[in-house]
Amino acid sequence: MNNGIAVVLVVEDSAIIRMGAVDLVLSAGYEALEARDADEAIRIMESRSDIDLVFTDVQMPGTMDGIKLCHYIRERWPPVKLIVASGATILEESNLPMGSRLFSKPYDDHTIADAMARLLASEVSIGPAVEPSC
Amino acid sequence: MPKTPTVHFEAASTLAVVVSSNEPLLFLSDDQKVIAASASFCRAFEIDPATVPGRRLSDLGNGEWAMPKLASLLKATASGSAHIEAYEIELRRPNHKTRQLVVNARTLDDGEIDHIRLLLAVTDVTDARAETRLKDDLLRDKAILLQEVQHRVANSLQIIASVLMQSARRVQSEEVRGHLQNAHHRVMSIAALQRQLSTSTGGNVELRSYLTQLCQSLGASMIADPGRLSIQVTVDDSAVEADVSVSLGLIVTELVINALKHAFPDERSGTIVTDYRSSGSDWTLSVADNGIGIPVGSDAPKAGLGTGIVEALAKNLKGEIQLSDARPGTVVTVSHRESAGLQTDLSAAA
Repeated sequence: MNNGIAVVLVVEDSAIIRMGAVDLVLSAGYEALEARDADEAIRIMESRSDIDLVFTDVQMPGTMDGIKLCHYIRERWPPVKLIVASGATILEESNLPMGSRLFSKPYDDHTIADAMARLLASEVSIGPAVEPSC
Repeated sequence: MPKTPTVHFEAASTLAVVVSSNEPLLFLSDDQKVIAASASFCRAFEIDPATVPGRRLSDLGNGEWAMPKLASLLKATASGSAHIEAYEIELRRPNHKTRQLVVNARTLDDGEIDHIRLLLAVTDVTDARAETRLKDDLLRDKAILLQEVQHRVANSLQIIASVLMQSARRVQSEEVRGHLQNAHHRVMSIAALQRQLSTSTGGNVELRSYLTQLCQSLGASMIADPGRLSIQVTVDDSAVEADVSVSLGLIVTELVINALKHAFPDERSGTIVTDYRSSGSDWTLSVADNGIGIPVGSDAPKAGLGTGIVEALAKNLKGEIQLSDARPGTVVTVSHRESAGLQTDLSAAA
């Protein structure tokens, strides 16, 4: 949280998709930070303590993919909310830390913005998802 | 035919049958001496046929057949306490690659109960196994490749969707924004199909889950207040080819977008129902709303791109479009009758 505005870190290696995601975060009224891969994401998270939510891709270059990144974040920064967008259809929400949301690509911006709002509104650790992930 | 050194003489016909067997075959006495070997056996395992008769199985060739496991299995078979059925052994020879063999053994049943002899059939499955392994590897490669392609398609569609949404947020004109959002919906409609295809087997698309997903996605991006407007999907168990489903999906996309945009002005509430049912090769797709209805005559709205898309796709599917007043609301039906044959008379739709 920065001056009462939620801070969202977008992790995505494709420049255009990352731009789109940052745009979506800004239009939803949050502050946006961006990283190209998991390593950069972790460096950013180490450098500041105000990140509320991480919105990440799965397949990325670097030492970790989005799934590993999520588990790492949950381990190290448990309160941070997690949203994952994946191009693969074989993934399931159960592969992710409890309370994370998974959406397949291409995602609908409204659906992601809605999921962000819900996750950011819930203070405690979130239970299993209740709405369809499409 | 060589004479057997055993006290018994085998019938010449029995020996001839063994020697001419296409499958590598050994005819053994109960103490595992070779009475006869098929020519195929000698050829497959490089054994000089002249050296075979009377020799112990364990002495054949360079002694590579001296396998304790095989000997004990043959012994058990001779005593009647076991059968060797598709038993796998490995044949190791110097300067040769190890061969995988499948052996079958049984006693010869020719009525001579006191005189036990064994038939040992040996199949070399090394090449077949290697082929199977290769095929498995290829199938795995293909699955990985397919996943990779699906992943790339999803990513490419995401890039297109992202660009369209960014443009839509930036433009000043409401009308242009509407067009960009429509383009985004069309991309998402194709994406829904892509997703459906990637989880389906055999290339046929189950329409109920596809159209449900599609309408959910349209609703999620276009309906601000789900309490006011909703989309229902009633579809039978039909499954269609991918090509057909993409057309049906795009038709539904256009009709649903149209209904959401025009049927419910001034915060009017209502429902849109997407329905599909088929019987044999006949089918009917309809999108109905309970909104304000479409003005006719000179008040009729000018046909837009959406109408063009629906007409073109319906024509492709040899379907007839019918627009009718549902009082309240509008229902657009696209139907295909096989009996109507080739005469897709568009005037019938007017």
